[in-house]
Amino acid sequence: MARLLLLLWSLGPMLWQLYSSFRPSAALSGVDGGGWTLDHYRQLLQGDPPFLTYLFNSAVVGASATALTLVLAVPCAYALSRIGRRQARTLTLLVAAAVAFPAVLLFLALLEVARDWHLANQLLALSLPYAGLCLPLAILLLQAAFADIPIELEEAALIEGLTLWQRLRWILLPLMAPAVASSGLLVFLFSWNEYPIALTWLSRTDLLTLAPAMARIAGSSVYTIPFGAFAAATVLGSAPLILLMLLFQRQIISGLTQGAIKG
Amino acid sequence: MKQSGPEGFNGLELRELSRRVGAQTLVDELSFTVAPGEILALLGPSGCGKSSTLRLIAGLDPVSSGEIRLGGRNVTALPPAQRQVAMVFQSYALFPHLSVERNLSLGMELRGMARAEINRELEHVLALMQLQGLRQRKPAELSGGQRQRVALARALIRRPALFLLDEPMSNLDAQLRENLRAELRTLLRSTGVPVVYVTHDQHEAMGLADRIAVLREGRLQQLGTAESLYHDPANRFVARFLGSPTINLIERGSEQLGLRPELLELVEAGSPVPDGWSALEGQLIHREWLGDRVISHVRCPREGTLKVLSSTAAGGESLQVRWRQADALHFDAHNGERLPGSIGAQAS
Repeated sequence: MARLLLLLWSLGPMLWQLYSSFRPSAALSGVDGGGWTLDHYRQLLQGDPPFLTYLFNSAVVGASATALTLVLAVPCAYALSRIGRRQARTLTLLVAAAVAFPAVLLFLALLEVARDWHLANQLLALSLPYAGLCLPLAILLLQAAFADIPIELEEAALIEGLTLWQRLRWILLPLMAPAVASSGLLVFLFSWNEYPIALTWLSRTDLLTLAPAMARIAGSSVYTIPFGAFAAATVLGSAPLILLMLLFQRQIISGLTQGAIKG
Repeated sequence: MKQSGPEGFNGLELRELSRRVGAQTLVDELSFTVAPGEILALLGPSGCGKSSTLRLIAGLDPVSSGEIRLGGRNVTALPPAQRQVAMVFQSYALFPHLSVERNLSLGMELRGMARAEINRELEHVLALMQLQGLRQRKPAELSGGQRQRVALARALIRRPALFLLDEPMSNLDAQLRENLRAELRTLLRSTGVPVVYVTHDQHEAMGLADRIAVLREGRLQQLGTAESLYHDPANRFVARFLGSPTINLIERGSEQLGLRPELLELVEAGSPVPDGWSALEGQLIHREWLGDRVISHVRCPREGTLKVLSSTAAGGESLQVRWRQADALHFDAHNGERLPGSIGAQAS
């Protein structure tokens, strides 16, 4: 029963959005009763630029930010889990402090960085601040995952003659797949939803990512809220995320290390 | 166990090997040799430095001082992979995401060995360890005994120059452990390389090893065959660590007498004591009947409780415990060193 309520609580609004996206505007504002329509989707997909461009831009930024974060976070986390306990504690505290810092305050400074280094209106450049903001949390998550892997497994590989890279590639990373997948998804979600930096770094319409693009949906003002278009945009914007979750569902389920040590 | 001069020795040799971490000395100037085909057990309570020693030999921890030689070559500074050692971990350390087959072959694959050769080795070891039916299983789908066989197979397939085992039996139940002992011994002997076997279980050490090195706080207490350690212990620690039930110790002024439970005799209280024998009077407080033998706990007023091992239960509550004086081991009560004048006369 409690589960059902929870499901309703989290999925209900999404279904409501889906429902709204197929209803004519008139029906949504309560003027007229019925009917179904694809108008909202047509309006979005045939816009200039078409809505799919935004999805694509967001995917590019999300993928590059995720890749960059993981490429940097995995070695950091590995090093933190292998150096002496005391040094690791100090460094981990610093990383945790970075996580705790209110990132919103960096926004203006980042704007200056973008101006000075000519990073504005470049999609891939946007993954730099994203990766920077996500890195501390990703390091902490991965570090915990590395620490969960029994050290004997790596020592056994060491005796087998595996090099550092081979140990990472063949032993450690496969065992950390759940942690890597969930950290990666976290970064991707952050990039997908991020608004203020995207808004200020990008001004060309064809480069916009999802969040600022949605804000610009034609005609939005307090007086004429395009409920239907927003609903359709929400549906289109969350569909890739749902797909991604389904894709990595198995990876996220952990418990893979079970049986390494006596059972 | 032949040794052709210290330089030409082609087994494993430790020379005053030490490992210190901060102010702590984990391994203290340890020296011993293990000949090819010989099994040496490192025996001691937890924290005695036996596992630290094994890790030094494997190259997993850095050596503070001293030397490790293998096959006449100084390997002290070599990384683990170049020492050609194989190690079986206490936890087995099987790669949980790989099948049995891949667990065995991964090392060879990454070293760039030809596929045909890998397959040949694989078939050989799988057959030897009777693992053919399990080759596609993941470690989580194996029983404890099967996991141990895979761990041994992974060590064997390396064709190592040295075999190291860290309590490989401690995750198995007692029955299986006893059954596997002879099998493991045969297998290890057949490799023809030096074997170092770490255990805290005296029965395992006695049943498996050719020689036993008893360690305490990183220092070698005594090294020898099980018989010599049992009958002729260098000190009280060794005497107490080997034998079950443990040796009885009674105070005699500045000395302590060590009396093995099986060398004590129980007779009726007040019996005359023969020449060359000593005796104590006491009360029977507890009796453990173990089928083939009986352990009687006899409380003597001043000396405490003595354990006596006999094949049949003696009757009566008041008893006399007696022993041949020549059978008693004498220890310095203060430092536990073995005192002269007590030779292991009963060695058979």
